[in-house]
Amino acid sequence: MPTTIARPSSDTSIAKWVSVDSGSAKVVMTGKVDVYSLANAWTQVRAQQDEWLKTPGSHTLVFDASNITSLDGSGIAFLIDLEEAQQKAGGQFSIVGLDPKYEPLLKEFDPIANLFPVPVVKPKRSFVVSTGMAVQNLLDDAKGLITFTGHLSADLFWSVRNIKQVRWGDFVDAAVQAGIAALPIVGLVSFLIGVILSFQAAIGMQQFGAVSFVGPLAALGIVREMGPLITAILLAGRSSAAFAAEIGTMTVNSEVDALVTGGLSPIRFLVVPRVLAGILVMPVLTLFADIVSIFASMVTMLAYEIPFINFWNGMLQTVTIEDIGSGLIKATLFGVVVSAVGCLRGMQTGTGAAAVGISATRAVVSSIVMIVLVDGIFAYISYKTGF
Amino acid sequence: MDTNDLAIDVQNLTVGYGSNILQQNLNFSVNYGEIFVILGGSGCGKSSLLKNLFGLYEPLAGDVLIEGENITTAVGAERQKIMTSFGVMYQQGALFGSMNLLDNVTLFMQEYTSLTQDQMDLLARCKLDLVGLLPYETYMPNEISGGMQKRAAIARAMALDPKILFLDEPSAGLDPITSADLDSTILDLSKNLGITFVIVSHELASIYAIADKVIMLDKDAKGIIAQGDPKVLRDTSTDPRVRQFFNRMMSKEAA
Repeated sequence: MPTTIARPSSDTSIAKWVSVDSGSAKVVMTGKVDVYSLANAWTQVRAQQDEWLKTPGSHTLVFDASNITSLDGSGIAFLIDLEEAQQKAGGQFSIVGLDPKYEPLLKEFDPIANLFPVPVVKPKRSFVVSTGMAVQNLLDDAKGLITFTGHLSADLFWSVRNIKQVRWGDFVDAAVQAGIAALPIVGLVSFLIGVILSFQAAIGMQQFGAVSFVGPLAALGIVREMGPLITAILLAGRSSAAFAAEIGTMTVNSEVDALVTGGLSPIRFLVVPRVLAGILVMPVLTLFADIVSIFASMVTMLAYEIPFINFWNGMLQTVTIEDIGSGLIKATLFGVVVSAVGCLRGMQTGTGAAAVGISATRAVVSSIVMIVLVDGIFAYISYKTGF
Repeated sequence: MDTNDLAIDVQNLTVGYGSNILQQNLNFSVNYGEIFVILGGSGCGKSSLLKNLFGLYEPLAGDVLIEGENITTAVGAERQKIMTSFGVMYQQGALFGSMNLLDNVTLFMQEYTSLTQDQMDLLARCKLDLVGLLPYETYMPNEISGGMQKRAAIARAMALDPKILFLDEPSAGLDPITSADLDSTILDLSKNLGITFVIVSHELASIYAIADKVIMLDKDAKGIIAQGDPKVLRDTSTDPRVRQFFNRMMSKEAA
């Protein structure tokens, strides 16, 4: 429902419907006609006209404009609406007393039928067609992903061989944004996760008198799974979206096209520094998250009268260097996936301002899906190899 | 003359940003029904002046009276009333990207009038027809060319049939035919509906075709260096800066 803000109009326009005889009628309009004063009169007069046009016989409508002091574009539209209704019903329409200065404007809209387009009904897609289109989109997306992975691998390989030509300035900017700027949020979330994990585990374990095993269990879970996962999801929310928005805005502004026409690879220029930054910051952030989380767990276990030293010794017996290594390798993979997916979605941005928002959303969603996928594959490999 | 007889009255206006003063102590007025063009080289503050006139930016000093009401001091409902009495076309069009052209035009009608949707659609189609975009009503802004976006923006500025229209470089980037069409639309609207136009432009052909009165701003003088009928200025002005502009001379030639 539109909100109508009262806007005082110095004059009010009144359109009056006058029935002359059975076959003819008159609309008399007076005063200043503008978009504010016209609204009610328009609806009323048109309703009366429709009623009248339903009656049998001929219909001749005369619009008396001789008392109009001023008319604007909305008044012209009103006249056109009346005339169209007459034409549709096969009636006659004429205007008397209209100031000649408005006539050129009225002529601008000839033929008025153009102003009343036939509404286009969009053909409904059958289930088969829409399923086919969805599959096609999925295949296109997969193709884009594979092509992008190929390009990225080639350019990453290139940058290893031409290490001096990598845009290290962009790399540092991206690493600072994705890494150092993320420390507070990663710290906060991993601390809380550490506390929650330990409390939940302790409640269960207490029933079996096994509270002393909570520490090692929590530490193992954090190092192998929770640390990398939490950090990756935070990175997906922060940096993947940021990369997609940055590169997406550049795509919208034709900056990416400018790189291509300048003979430069946008992947090497925009994606490689960001992916390298992702590879660097993810393991570092994960290590930080592990430490904070384990510390939070230690603090929590004090409530169950497990001193730091007991927690520590228990942890050292359970958590091996392989566990930490496994977590960090996984984190590095997450780093590649999250930053690359963010960049890919940025490169796939369509046109218009809304497209950037869509890209950022897709970046986060795809990143999280990919994280879970990689995590699953990694879990399977760990199970098979014992690493 | 009583200020109420003027569409726009500018008194001692200083335009700039912080300590960077672009134009100082401007005094001019625009009559009802006039096509008023603001000229000047790039960077002299034309667009900034325009944004001061329609109240988007607050001037560093001075007053702008629109139909006798001071827009620089007005607040609340009073300000809103002034804001709905004019329409603005921004340089890049500034259409709402998530709406098609018809919805772009009807948006302000939905907020300010009690017309039905069909009536608003018809009114919006009339506006789009005036700028030659009727066949494109269902297009999104990113599906049409830059010139078409500008014309659609003019249609949107006219949505509430304002008495004053501010246009920021309407013909820049348009082909000569479209530009000439736009000029004739502006002339028609001015003549038939009595709309007052305040236009920032440096398209000479368009200025000669439409302007009743121009003011010319200068970056170094920080003020108006010429005003009047553009053809008269071209033929009679002795100021080298003015002659240089109207005769399209290179910067070295006038010296």
